Amino acid sequence: MTTLYFTEEQRDCLQELVNVAMGQASDKLARYLDTLVHLQVPAIALVETEQLPEHFARRYPQHNASLISLGFFGDQGLRGETIMLYQLENVGVIAQLLGYDDDDSSEAEMLTDISSVLTTTFLNGLAEQLENSFSYAAPRILSSRDQHFVQKLADTASQWQLALQVDIRYQLIDYSFNCDMMLLVPGEAVLQLRQMLNKVLAGF
Amino acid sequence: MQIAGLLQPLLAQLNSGVLVLDAEYRLVFINQFIARRANLVLAEVQGQLLFDVFTDLPRAWLQRKLDSVQELQIPAFSNWEQRQYIFKLPHLRPLSTGSQYMAQNCSIMPLSSADNNAGYICILIEDATDAFVYQQQLHNSMQQLEQANRIDGLTGIFNRRYWQQQLQLELQRATRYQHPLSLLLFDLDKFKQLNDTYGHQGGDAVLMSVSQQIATLLRDTDIFGRYGGEEFGVILPETALSGAMMVANRVCQAIASQTVSYNQQHIAVTLSIGVASFTGQSVDELIQQTDIALYNAKRQGRNCVRAYASEQNYLKKVN
Amino acid sequence: MALTVLICDDSLLARNQLKKSLPADFDASIVTASNGLEALAILRSTEIGLVFLDLTMPELDGVGVLEAIKAEAMDCLVIVVSADIQPEMQKRVMDLGALAFVRKPASAEKLAEVMHKYGLI
Repeated sequence: MTTLYFTEEQRDCLQELVNVAMGQASDKLARYLDTLVHLQVPAIALVETEQLPEHFARRYPQHNASLISLGFFGDQGLRGETIMLYQLENVGVIAQLLGYDDDDSSEAEMLTDISSVLTTTFLNGLAEQLENSFSYAAPRILSSRDQHFVQKLADTASQWQLALQVDIRYQLIDYSFNCDMMLLVPGEAVLQLRQMLNKVLAGF
Repeated sequence: MQIAGLLQPLLAQLNSGVLVLDAEYRLVFINQFIARRANLVLAEVQGQLLFDVFTDLPRAWLQRKLDSVQELQIPAFSNWEQRQYIFKLPHLRPLSTGSQYMAQNCSIMPLSSADNNAGYICILIEDATDAFVYQQQLHNSMQQLEQANRIDGLTGIFNRRYWQQQLQLELQRATRYQHPLSLLLFDLDKFKQLNDTYGHQGGDAVLMSVSQQIATLLRDTDIFGRYGGEEFGVILPETALSGAMMVANRVCQAIASQTVSYNQQHIAVTLSIGVASFTGQSVDELIQQTDIALYNAKRQGRNCVRAYASEQNYLKKVN
Repeated sequence: MALTVLICDDSLLARNQLKKSLPADFDASIVTASNGLEALAILRSTEIGLVFLDLTMPELDGVGVLEAIKAEAMDCLVIVVSADIQPEMQKRVMDLGALAFVRKPASAEKLAEVMHKYGLI
């Protein structure tokens, strides 16, 4: 596990790739949803997964958040999982945003839909810059109103020894809605990612 | 080796449904999985609009998904837990499930071919009927388990734990809405003697028969439970003391007027019933007061009904 | 007289990328800043002819820098180089006086085209 570190150059490189991918994603989303998406500088860190639940417990002191997981797989062993976190008060806003107010779509369906839109647009952009392409698993709801999400996160995190955590905050200007995305890359895939970053860095 | 030549036979044998649409959502391809289940021939539906061929699709919903796939070039998903099926297709478990249509996991993916940049869309349908069936079974087992948890094994009426929980809830409800509530506690007269004469199996037969008979005399909203060995309780919501006395007398007379058949013998059974009404007491106080009335009925000759009155406290000492 | 160019981006990769992508015949000395506040400090103390400005940055973002340049009537040209390519954002920075908007990652061809258009090379 001691071999898992990022040099400042690698971290900076990834941060920039994430930035560009987010830019592309929010452009697509802004056009699709017809609203301006506000971007914040994403925070990137290599973390012990044990710390993740605590991190999120601090960030979401209330219990009523929803977690949606979406797995992805690329070439050369790059793989990972994104976890989107929503405050449940936002569910109505999401429905309005997606134009779902007129039919029978369930809350769960809306959450998985918006998650796959937000995460796959971003991940496609990231893959492109790494000269990779990702395939995706269907999104799963890890938690809903009745379960405490920190416990859920702890259960999930135990499968990842070490992870790359990229916190991304989406804010939609015209709607009082924001959600967080966490990109988790497991230990051995972090090694692969590092090599890919070195390739990008070698180009400059 | 030409892999391209193998793709058609592979698609034909694939145990998942594959539909390919062009940018206008016209059918370009359906594989055998879909063709057979939907009873379609590819050559006949090729070039037709998806929604014209499959007329009972959730149109607005699917249209929106297809639009997002095309516009954003990202996949969209749907799983059977959220939407049991999208295409009304038969499944291959007609006997083992009550569901008429195949439960489906569905992926909708952007597709572009090397020679043509026009955006195609692939809809992939996976049969999730087995998962659906397992979940139904699990759900049923859970319900049975929950049911078993509240039922008395011998008599089939509520057990003491559940009955007391319900009493607590009904008392809260009566307090909140200021509605009347009454309680009956009753006991089979001389049950020890009956057990000695006919054996424990005879005693059990009497307990079963008596509880079945009483259950038929109660309203659906009354809550009937086995309180102890030969002791039973009935919670009567929305019932004042006078109404409760009528119910108790009816039960008492019905049991006394019949006998229980056991091993070609006719066992005569009588009950003593205590009645009390809720006037703001705690659960324990109400039970205690009803119990006092029951002891009073026993003391005053059995096979009778007695209501609790506050001055009867001293009778508690009598057994 | 050689032009002094400021490259402002929080990412080292992006700064290097941009430096390498500038036309070979572009005669300028280059200074860099890694956030908006640093950029403003340089702009106030040094004569800068051209700024390549990122938008999404810590401390002070690109929009904040543009607002300050406008408010203090600084005499410099600004080319925004950003990943935030939403049409509304592009309009906003152009309204604030940016010369051009180049999407990230900026290619050498695109930079040359823009700089040629505005007579910088």
